[in-house]
Amino acid sequence: MNRSTDLYVDGKRRILVADDEIVNREMLENILCDEYDVLLAEDGEKAYDLIRQNRNTLSLILLDLMMPKLNGLDLLSRLKEDSDLKGIPVIVLTSDQDSEVESLVRGAADFIPKPYPQPDVIRARISRSIELAEDRQIISATERDELTGLYSYEYFSRYVEQFDKYHPNSEMDALCLDVNHFHIVNERFGMAKGDEILRRIADCLMTVFSESDSVICRKNADTFLVYCSHRDDYSSITDKVSEVCSDMPTSVKLRIGVYAYCDKKLDIRARFDRAKIAADLIRNNYMVYVSTFDETLMENELFAEQLVDEFSKALAEKQFKVFFQPKFNIAGDKPVLSSAEALVRWFHPTLGMISPGKFIPLFEDDGLIAQLDEYIWRCAAETIADWKRRLGISVPVSVNLSRAEMYDPALVNTFEKITSDFGITSKDIYLEITESAYVRDSDQIVDRVKELRNHGFFIEMDDFGSGYSSLNMISELPIDALKLDMMFIRNAFDKQNDTRMISIVIDIADYLGVPVIAEGVETEEQYLALKKLGCTIIQGYYFSKPVPAEEFEKFLVEKDS
Amino acid sequence: MLTLDALKQFGADTDDGLSRCMGNEAFYFKLIGKVIDDSNFKILEDAVAAKDLDKAFEAAHSLKGVLGNLALTPIYEPVCEVTELLRAKPDVDYSEYLKKISDKRSELAGLLK
Repeated sequence: MNRSTDLYVDGKRRILVADDEIVNREMLENILCDEYDVLLAEDGEKAYDLIRQNRNTLSLILLDLMMPKLNGLDLLSRLKEDSDLKGIPVIVLTSDQDSEVESLVRGAADFIPKPYPQPDVIRARISRSIELAEDRQIISATERDELTGLYSYEYFSRYVEQFDKYHPNSEMDALCLDVNHFHIVNERFGMAKGDEILRRIADCLMTVFSESDSVICRKNADTFLVYCSHRDDYSSITDKVSEVCSDMPTSVKLRIGVYAYCDKKLDIRARFDRAKIAADLIRNNYMVYVSTFDETLMENELFAEQLVDEFSKALAEKQFKVFFQPKFNIAGDKPVLSSAEALVRWFHPTLGMISPGKFIPLFEDDGLIAQLDEYIWRCAAETIADWKRRLGISVPVSVNLSRAEMYDPALVNTFEKITSDFGITSKDIYLEITESAYVRDSDQIVDRVKELRNHGFFIEMDDFGSGYSSLNMISELPIDALKLDMMFIRNAFDKQNDTRMISIVIDIADYLGVPVIAEGVETEEQYLALKKLGCTIIQGYYFSKPVPAEEFEKFLVEKDS
Repeated sequence: MLTLDALKQFGADTDDGLSRCMGNEAFYFKLIGKVIDDSNFKILEDAVAAKDLDKAFEAAHSLKGVLGNLALTPIYEPVCEVTELLRAKPDVDYSEYLKKISDKRSELAGLLK
């Protein structure tokens, strides 16, 4: 079955009649208008403009040879030189036998003599030329995905365009369908099984979506795109797909991103980008299989892209500023400044201050975090050195390390270089490594941490309680302090005022012989309770928000006195 | 008012012309009305007078296509002759042909009134 013709069932193919004589134009239009959408041009230039405007939807051109401005033969040559336009078949209208041969030589598909033959002869010749041209296109290009028989993406886009043209008032949805964890299917069960699953999904989609109101393709690997009349609910499709794959060695679940009621002013790629954003949102969600795009998603995506794009410039222009938040030792009667944490802020020239919660995860995904972190480490080191030189006093400053950096074999060298560059020691910089970093590839991470400790660096395990460390593992970890995840504090005081979990963590820290640092402490009530529970070090707004280096100096001076 | 009988009498092959108009008489008459006003008649005469035979050829050629399609034989035939002459560009007197064309065009125009 040739699906390229199916798309025209409800509509008409578009053809252009180019002739400077109005009588000829109207006569042909009258003969063809029942079967075709007929465009008219009265000179060569106008014809050329119309051809270019309609290059994706034009099925055929009927071309008079003798026309003002640009004659037919020159126009024909121009079309045949243009890779976008040369595929559109041209039938030459002529009353000269000499011209017939020349037209064919220049690439015309056929000619129709003047006076015109009977209308049914004209229609037959047109239909034949269109058919030949379409068959040739289908043969010459990969219209079909070999594996599933669905359209290839290139053809899909063209058919979507045509579909819009013939159904301008239909409310359409763009869907992006992915198989959850498909790469694992191929890995575990082999390509043949993977291919079988993709074929079944394709067959299933073809039964769910009728050809008269939808276009389907496989874009790559396990991504399918569907352009279809709007539906309110797509959840039954994921069930159907699971059902047709029920005898496969693994369960198959689709996730569907829906961009409903497409804005047809957007180009096709943009519509499916939106569907993809929605689909990606539920990538790791095992409970939700259909996700619908809304504009805030797009705004977030664009915002994220802008931040990533502007990273290098921001770094070069020192838009990132390092702030310091004090940590106080509360073991004695009076809190004493013990150290600080270096935290980054982005002062964007137009967006103002951007919270690290917005850009750190992005940079972690993009691998930019390594550059940013090293910048922060150096800023922190420089500040420590400055305090020492000017004030003759300093406290250790902790800096954050990302998980990816823990795999860097040169990590120790980097810190050695930083301390030596600024004339400080390993005792001046503490390293905060998030608990979740220890969980994956723990041997490798643990070895790296040991290496850092052997060089004298103090290691704080950050966000403790947010990951999934086993108690067994913790006892073997090379750490110098446990930093309690902020959520512990919030949960303990927010709801049932239950501090038992904190008390357990403090016991663990005691067992390991390391202090507990509580961050996110905001109120006096929290401070007093933590002190009573035996927590040693406190960080949070209760004492101070993160402040610029100059402002932090007051804590140093105070401590000195 | 134009009728098929009058057209036949004039010498037009109305069956042929009508078939290209899908049998629609009113449409056929409408197109005939347009060809009477075709500016190429005047361009042909002026170009011949100015001895611009290329321009004259183009105008004649265009007229030939339209008149043939409408099967207006009595005008079509002299226009064909002129077209072929102009294509070869012999130094001949075109006035006799032009007069014939002009006469037949007037005759047809008379039928339209």
